[in-house]
Amino acid sequence: MNISTLFSTSASSPSARTIRIWWWLWLALVMVGLALPKLLSNSFHLTLLTNGVVLGIASVGIGFLMWQCGLIMFGVAAFIGLPAYLLGLGSDKLGMGLSMAVFFSLSVSTIFSLLVGLFVVTARPLPFAMLTLALAQMLKSITMMQVMRPLTGGDDGLTMTFKGTFFGLTQSQLGKASEFWPLAWLGLCVVLTLAWLASNSRFGLVLRAIQANEERMRFSGFNTFLPRLWAFILASFIVSVAGVLMALNSAFASPELLDFGTGGHSLVAMLVGGASSVAGPLLGALLYTWGQDSFGASGHLELFTGIAVVVVISIFPKGVIGFLMQLVAHLSGSDKRG
Amino acid sequence: MNFDQLLSISQLANALALASLLTILASGLALIFGLRDVMNFAHGALYMLGAYLGFSVGKVFSFWGALVLVPMVLALLGVVFELGVLRPLQKRAHMDVALVTFGLALIIGPAVHKIWGTIPISVEPPPSLSGSVTLFGEFYPVYRLFLIGVGFSTCVALAAWLKYTRSGMHTRAVSQQPHVARMMGVNTDRLSLLVVCLGTGFSGLAGVLAGPYLSVDPGMGATILISCLIVVVVGGLGSIGGAIAAAVIYGFIQVIGTILLPSLAVLVPYMLLFIVLLWRPQGLGGGRVS
Repeated sequence: MNISTLFSTSASSPSARTIRIWWWLWLALVMVGLALPKLLSNSFHLTLLTNGVVLGIASVGIGFLMWQCGLIMFGVAAFIGLPAYLLGLGSDKLGMGLSMAVFFSLSVSTIFSLLVGLFVVTARPLPFAMLTLALAQMLKSITMMQVMRPLTGGDDGLTMTFKGTFFGLTQSQLGKASEFWPLAWLGLCVVLTLAWLASNSRFGLVLRAIQANEERMRFSGFNTFLPRLWAFILASFIVSVAGVLMALNSAFASPELLDFGTGGHSLVAMLVGGASSVAGPLLGALLYTWGQDSFGASGHLELFTGIAVVVVISIFPKGVIGFLMQLVAHLSGSDKRG
Repeated sequence: MNFDQLLSISQLANALALASLLTILASGLALIFGLRDVMNFAHGALYMLGAYLGFSVGKVFSFWGALVLVPMVLALLGVVFELGVLRPLQKRAHMDVALVTFGLALIIGPAVHKIWGTIPISVEPPPSLSGSVTLFGEFYPVYRLFLIGVGFSTCVALAAWLKYTRSGMHTRAVSQQPHVARMMGVNTDRLSLLVVCLGTGFSGLAGVLAGPYLSVDPGMGATILISCLIVVVVGGLGSIGGAIAAAVIYGFIQVIGTILLPSLAVLVPYMLLFIVLLWRPQGLGGGRVS
């Protein structure tokens, strides 16, 4: 059952000692992950894994929002595309250095999520999904507008030239999977830790209680608006990290980033992986990227994703990770008995 | 800004043509939502399937044959959809079921591309509806007038069914107060089979009708789905009257916006959605807040 205490968001409180052990194990895993390019000689696999990790970051963000608040962000693409464009605008049009541009892009995107959140977090799940989808579509239309062409490049997209370095990495280094990997991996680790801490804190408890019965929480004297707003901002920030990483890696932003399809990747990954734990969306993203590679060429990717979504949601409501955890719990349970 | 152009009859008719297509689709979506509380994300894909089927059946028989046969085929698919997906999953969270329909949309899309290819197909209107007529001194394609006619007679038929028949009354009752209606002895399962068939049948009808009006292409489902969702949400979830009103408003805003503010017109539907949802979450028709 130890595995489930690490990953489950509604853990029973284990002793301080076990928690410390798990923290050390986690730190060791982070370190091993950093050394991965040395172990994995095949650069193609590394690229694939990097893509999976970046997609995973976005999925962790929306998975957090879905599990804690019951809100599904259909317009994930809004917070992938916006920071990507902001990074390009910051470094190309405003003449910022790369680190400054990353900071600019993440902070503006987060402030934007605050403004959006003020309006949308009170919506019920379905209107919320629609509103965020409309937001992404709106941003996409804006980037493609004729008047915005000098800034966004219109349909052609925005090719970025970075000045300076980010964590010592120049533009050409960021484009290489082996050099880019530590950044993506550390980004993922930070995001996972953030989401896990938020889920297992009092904050997460309040969020789940609001999701279960908002009215009762209000009567009990809780502010039901602010926690949801913070959760939305946190989720948007996490998705923005994925957006910035994508832009750093490719040095390119196009309206396609804001398309429903782009958000659809992380949405499907999150759903298939299962949002009930922090690790689920990541697992989903890795599976999805692997699937993209295996079936993408044959053009059957969408078909298989569709089948996966239908099967997983109708049979395993908690996703692949939920199924695995059930399996582990079952096996360890039968071990004890036998 | 050219007001002559704005007020022209043909622009008015264009708005109505778009509105009637949206009405047929959105009322099907609203019907399914009313009975099952599920936003059917596969509606756009079914509409696309209807359009492609309409193209093929139209080649074998005629446009008129397609207009009758395709909605029937789609209604049969509706039976499968109701019995295979909606009914087994009715105890689950509504969002889960909506996500399953999203998955179904992902399956139908590539299946259609596999069969018909991804090259856009243009469908000719039947000979009796091709050409144009003079409408208050302006030329206007006959087919669009036909589309408006079919769209609005469908609405009238639907409204009459809802208002004057027993099953229509039950449908309204379940859409407004699902629990009370069930307590009063309405058999929602039986009713929902009928209504889901009607909803998917309507998507087939809209698909066949769209063929000669727009072109038949792989992206058509996704494009219209978003418009439809906006229409249904703006109209009020589960409210069929609201959906019809919202479709007409949407058509006008879209067409008039294109003339007045071409660069901003694409944003207008989303603004409409934002404003309505924030100002009046129950939508124009006073649907349920879900």
